[in-house]
Amino acid sequence: MKSLLKTAVWAAASVFASTAASAGEKIQIWHIFGNATEPTLVNFTRWNETHPDNQIDQKFIPFAQLSQQLIKGIATGDVPDLVTIDNPVVASFASQGALEELTDLVKGSKIIEKSKYYTGSWNTTIWSERQYAVPGEANTLALYYNADMFRAKGLDPDKPPRTWAELKELSAKLTDPAKGVYGVGFSAIQSEEGTFQWLPFLQQSGGNLASLTSPDSVAAMTLWADFVKSGQASKDVLVKRQFEMMSAFLGGSSAMVVGGPWELQRMDKDAKFEWRVATLPVREGKNIEASALGGYVWGIPKGAKQRALAFKLVEFMSEPEQMKRAWSGGRLPPVPSISVENPANPKAYEVFKTQMIVAKARGPHPAWPLISSAIQTAIQSSLTGQSTPAAALERAQAVIKPLLDKNPIEGL
Amino acid sequence: MSKALPNYGSSRPVSRPLEGALDRLFDSRNVWSVTVAATALYLLFFVGYPILYNVIMSFQEVSVSNVGRLDRPWVGFANYQRLIGDPLFPLVVKNTIVFVSLSVILQCACGLALALFFQQRFPGSGALRGVILAGWILPPLVVGAIWKWLLASDNGVFNYALQSIGLISGPVYWLSDPSSSLLAVTLANVWFGVPFNMILLAAGLSGIPREIYEAAMIDGAGPFRRFTAMTLPMLRPTLYALVALSTIYTMRSFDVIWTMTHGGPIDSSNVFPIWSYKLSFDIFDFAGGAAASTMMLIVVFFVALIYVRSVRAEARA
Repeated sequence: MKSLLKTAVWAAASVFASTAASAGEKIQIWHIFGNATEPTLVNFTRWNETHPDNQIDQKFIPFAQLSQQLIKGIATGDVPDLVTIDNPVVASFASQGALEELTDLVKGSKIIEKSKYYTGSWNTTIWSERQYAVPGEANTLALYYNADMFRAKGLDPDKPPRTWAELKELSAKLTDPAKGVYGVGFSAIQSEEGTFQWLPFLQQSGGNLASLTSPDSVAAMTLWADFVKSGQASKDVLVKRQFEMMSAFLGGSSAMVVGGPWELQRMDKDAKFEWRVATLPVREGKNIEASALGGYVWGIPKGAKQRALAFKLVEFMSEPEQMKRAWSGGRLPPVPSISVENPANPKAYEVFKTQMIVAKARGPHPAWPLISSAIQTAIQSSLTGQSTPAAALERAQAVIKPLLDKNPIEGL
Repeated sequence: MSKALPNYGSSRPVSRPLEGALDRLFDSRNVWSVTVAATALYLLFFVGYPILYNVIMSFQEVSVSNVGRLDRPWVGFANYQRLIGDPLFPLVVKNTIVFVSLSVILQCACGLALALFFQQRFPGSGALRGVILAGWILPPLVVGAIWKWLLASDNGVFNYALQSIGLISGPVYWLSDPSSSLLAVTLANVWFGVPFNMILLAAGLSGIPREIYEAAMIDGAGPFRRFTAMTLPMLRPTLYALVALSTIYTMRSFDVIWTMTHGGPIDSSNVFPIWSYKLSFDIFDFAGGAAASTMMLIVVFFVALIYVRSVRAEARA
């Protein structure tokens, strides 16, 4: 009853709003940027300076709570005009009618053009051949390694592992139980982060989601499981988030770790050793370069009041001038032609930029959270030794296959 | 001398007409109907409505697009059937039973031990008791984070201490081993709940008259016999209430587990509140989440019923 009343009032208000001129209207944004130096926040300030009539009314929501807040907003009819969404859940929201369709707006835009964007980034914003979002920033994974530890073990820090075999060899050499050092680290936690980190290895193996029981897919899981079984990776990878794995690397208890560019600022500040970044290794014989594709996209929730204005802001944020600022926040512009001048950590910048080219999107799939959850369970049962990788993947396959039969994912 | 002290009694009816009016108001019959009505309205709106909403939701088909409306397709018990048929269901039920019963038993036992301990007056007992209570003041998220550090396998304090005294040779994987993760989160939850149990039991203990102990001592009853034949029986109503309250608190505990393990590895520490949350907000199965929490609600309701009855019995006695 209450929500009905609220909906009615709100509907009346929005009719009024759309007929009224947009001057003086504020744009409500929910975003995930808690740090005042975040490039997106700097860009918000720039918008406010140049658009005194339409100021931004922003609200910070921690990354892990954004979906939940958005759902609550939809439930109570209290949605912002613009929101940052984690790219793998766009299809879920879009397929359930929670996002405004932007196909025509994007087609008519001179700034946002499909051809400019990384294919992976662009794909995350499409569901059922319609556009529901616009890529905001992109990120991916690479291998961080401790150059000092390489030297201490007589290894050449200029030669990071290029293949799985080298990764195994180096990881075995770098593991030092007496000093509490593990050779390699990754996050295998039972959440989206675990899926995010494992998928690149699945792609490198030559396997894919549609054939999780193939020997190649099983090899990708076996690689991770063996690292844990042999004690070259800590069992704590099962409960540690990516942030915590990077803390382990910073604390010197992991010689190599899979991580993203968002950690670079922390590395600059806290690392007490020489560290470097390399592209993820490939599987010998397959030579498939692969990495994960993360990042947020701009979406307009269904029922937003200032749709036109919100899209104008998205266009503003997509201009090269604004986009190139992304790197200073440890992210990449989703448009490869935009180059960052004098980037901080230039070598890492090159590595992550190279990695971006082969980064693959998770989905788009309306049931991605379910698919991801099946993968997480498979990772965890394999790494704890409760199941063999083959048996664990077989169970995941049983969940995932019907979902993919309904909505296939291209190239995954 | 008489000026410095406030003069109660004689001046009251003259100098405090307001108080007199209030007294008359509270003594009158009408005020009770008003206050009761206000309380009932409050409960109806802030407790009844959400519960009813949740129960209704558990019988409907809910997606992101219709989560804001009430007129959703009715599916009867389909959501419940789906949950009960889920391979996770038996595991989550088992985990919840183990987690709740272990937590309640250990919290009561440790709480009672501490309450008895602090009944003995010794130097610094007040300060020590305060320190123990401090744990209860911490937000559960902080408790979870601290215990995650303590129990970390590679550089956690627990493993370091156990290895230093030679009890274990290699690290124990408290949180990342599926066979110990549930125990580990239970341990943290017990630590978190003990102070509350201690306070309630201490209050119960202070209600037992000292003289009967003295009489029993003269009659030759030893400390063990005094405990089993006097303390425990006289503490029974408090214990009943405490077990019920702890069960309710533990049934809904979420934050500590969420911070420590997210319910993993492989759902080995997944309990009903975690499952309900994951269904709703990880895979957007709102109806499933609502059904899970409704099942929990039914259990809590019966526990609460026992609690209310025990309180009533106590009042009658």
